[in-house]
Amino acid sequence: MNSAPRQLNLDQWDDRYEQLRRDGLREPAYGGPLRRHVVREKDFRLQQLRFDNSPAALRLWNFLLTENQRLHQARAAGHKIVGTMKDLGTVPVMAYALPGLRAFYPDGAWWTPCLMECSDRLLQKAERMGLDASFCPARAMLPALVDGGHFPRPDLLICSSGAVCDDFSAIAQRLEHLGHSILWWEIPRRRRPAAGETACALPGLLAAPQIQVDCVRTELQRVGRALGELAGRTLDDDSLAAGIRAANQVRRRLDSLRRTVYSAPAAPLPALEMLVAEMLAIHFCSDREETIAVLDDLLAEVQSRARRSQFVIGAEAARIFWVNPVADLRAMNLLEELGGRLCGSDFMFSHALDLIPENLPPLEALARSAMADPMVGPTDDRAARIVRECQAGRAEAVAVSRIPGASHCAREGEIIREIVRREIGIPAIEIEIPPVCDAMLPSLASRLRAMVETARSRRAR
Amino acid sequence: LKRFAPGSHEFIQKIKPQIKPARKMDVFLASPWIPAEWVRAHGLQPRGLWSVENFQCGLWPLSAGVCAFAEAAVRFAQARADSAVIFSTACDQMRRGFDAASLRGQNRLFLFNLPATWQTAAAGQIFRSELERLGQFLLALGGRAPSPELLRREMSLSGAARKRLLDSAAASSSRGFAEAVARFHWDGAFSPPPPAAPATQVPLALLGGPFLAPHWKWLDDLEAAGGRVALNATEMGERSLSPAFDDEAGASRPFDALVRGYCDNIIDVFQRPNTRLYSWLKPRLASRQARGIVLWHFTGCDLWRAEAGTLRETFGLPVLLLEAGAEPGAGPRRLDRLQTFVETLR
Repeated sequence: MNSAPRQLNLDQWDDRYEQLRRDGLREPAYGGPLRRHVVREKDFRLQQLRFDNSPAALRLWNFLLTENQRLHQARAAGHKIVGTMKDLGTVPVMAYALPGLRAFYPDGAWWTPCLMECSDRLLQKAERMGLDASFCPARAMLPALVDGGHFPRPDLLICSSGAVCDDFSAIAQRLEHLGHSILWWEIPRRRRPAAGETACALPGLLAAPQIQVDCVRTELQRVGRALGELAGRTLDDDSLAAGIRAANQVRRRLDSLRRTVYSAPAAPLPALEMLVAEMLAIHFCSDREETIAVLDDLLAEVQSRARRSQFVIGAEAARIFWVNPVADLRAMNLLEELGGRLCGSDFMFSHALDLIPENLPPLEALARSAMADPMVGPTDDRAARIVRECQAGRAEAVAVSRIPGASHCAREGEIIREIVRREIGIPAIEIEIPPVCDAMLPSLASRLRAMVETARSRRAR
Repeated sequence: LKRFAPGSHEFIQKIKPQIKPARKMDVFLASPWIPAEWVRAHGLQPRGLWSVENFQCGLWPLSAGVCAFAEAAVRFAQARADSAVIFSTACDQMRRGFDAASLRGQNRLFLFNLPATWQTAAAGQIFRSELERLGQFLLALGGRAPSPELLRREMSLSGAARKRLLDSAAASSSRGFAEAVARFHWDGAFSPPPPAAPATQVPLALLGGPFLAPHWKWLDDLEAAGGRVALNATEMGERSLSPAFDDEAGASRPFDALVRGYCDNIIDVFQRPNTRLYSWLKPRLASRQARGIVLWHFTGCDLWRAEAGTLRETFGLPVLLLEAGAEPGAGPRRLDRLQTFVETLR
């Protein structure tokens, strides 16, 4: 089944899939050829993407692209569905600690216009609901939830508020006005502890005043009660501690995957698969145990490739640190086509990659993890981590990817770039990537190419 | 202004507001939900940032999506080396504006964490602790520790001024009321707004974010177009006067009364859920007989823009989205839209 690592387009994957089947490929229940997602789900964008050719990557993609089916199956099996919004990595840890609950992020609908190349007209429907293109593509969530045509309507909607993006908060508020009740919980904007104030260490080498962590813990207690009521069982410390340990299993695997891929002399796994794999951290793609299995496969693949010095992207590629997820998955391919590779990433949820402390009362640990959210704190905290990870990954340039209409993008890119330049003196660019970036490919390509060429030219000095 | 580097002498001279020299240090507040009484009780002079004459919005070379008000606040904060500026977390733009303004280690800046939720004890606790933290900041600026008597007095004075302003709101000229509220946020004083002329114009509600002195001419333009603002529900209008104090609690525990007086009475779009805004609007739209809503917002303000549909659905009134511009008044294009809106409501 082994073959040299490379990227394949969908046509090539058809052949590859047949070959793998002939060679005895064994797949989970959600397995199958990638092509079927185009035919059945109208995920037309797959025809424009290039995928890693490993069975592990096939499993990853199939796992990702069958999430809605998984949620419908869970609903049919009597499970309660929790739509958790915005916090990216905290509430799902609680939900999956209770039997019979499945949590997912309706926010994830922001990729639907990309995957379906806008054929489902979610963005146009959102516009008719009052949210035009000046809002982040997460607005696709609104018609997706109201129409119920993609994922099942959640039994409970939970959304963090306070130090969150305005556009997302506004979209969620509009959803509530349209009759979908939301449990709002407060996440205060993280600040550094003042002199004389009791400080609390957070994951990611951060700190916050204990009073802020106490507030979040109290809020999470409220969330926990609501989840317990839905599950018909109290979310006690033992269950939550077990949930945290399980979440950490996912996070440990992702940490290994990231270290293996980002520190390798060349890339053993493409950028696109890394983005998708990292996304599994936030809500386990609605199946925590399967997430672990998917990541085990991927990790085994990249470790094997690294041992054999087999890479998808060569060592000559410019080492790029990528900031923010891309609305169009095609952009990750583009980076590599133009001579770059990922050597680090901050896809807006670095707190969901850090281990949740296991030596603390579980709710306190989770509150600390929530407070470490890069989007909740000062932009220079986020930039400081990016600088550290750029240094660790020997980044030669930073690409800050703007999400169209996202309130945080208006300002943060400028701050991050300034700090990166000041601290480590590498080039940093900002690019905006819409849900389907085809029309912008020439300008995107020229900016990315310029970044790659600049990074490479600096090697000679 | 583009010719001058932010922070340069020329820039400061250009942006410097036309104010009389103040004896006390000015502490500029970027939100009406940050208690001015608390600042005054510390012996410092609170000033509504939006009340600064010639507060410049919209003349900057902005990157896409940056709110002109937030940008103006950032530049103002960087330019005013002799004053403090208190930002709030009410919106992402101001929160990250604070990040940008404090990038160069300015210690006269403070970010006040306004909780978005309001139905829980945790929200009240956040507000209380932020107020205590602000107190420490004010002391570090040279303020004095406030005595309960002094705080009580400040609350009493501001409470009375707010009440008089609110009592006069319905019968005042729209521009006169805007000026009187701005005066209140500038120095705490009550100046009686002139009464409205006999109304033949179409009554409208003006709702939205910051409505600044350069925008007041817009009110004249509206009247010339045949409309009038019967309810000013912008951030600098009647909503900003909603904090109210429990006299009984204030007598014995003024700090508690201050916390509750603000926390329980914030009426704003950023709250989650923002039902208090709608509960506040409903009786006022009815009693002022508003026939339409002008939704006033800055470019990039997602929080207000997203409410247009809900406002239409909730109140059954037509809603005109109007974007704040750099020029005084409505400007030709906005004026045209405004005139058309009023004509359709006649």
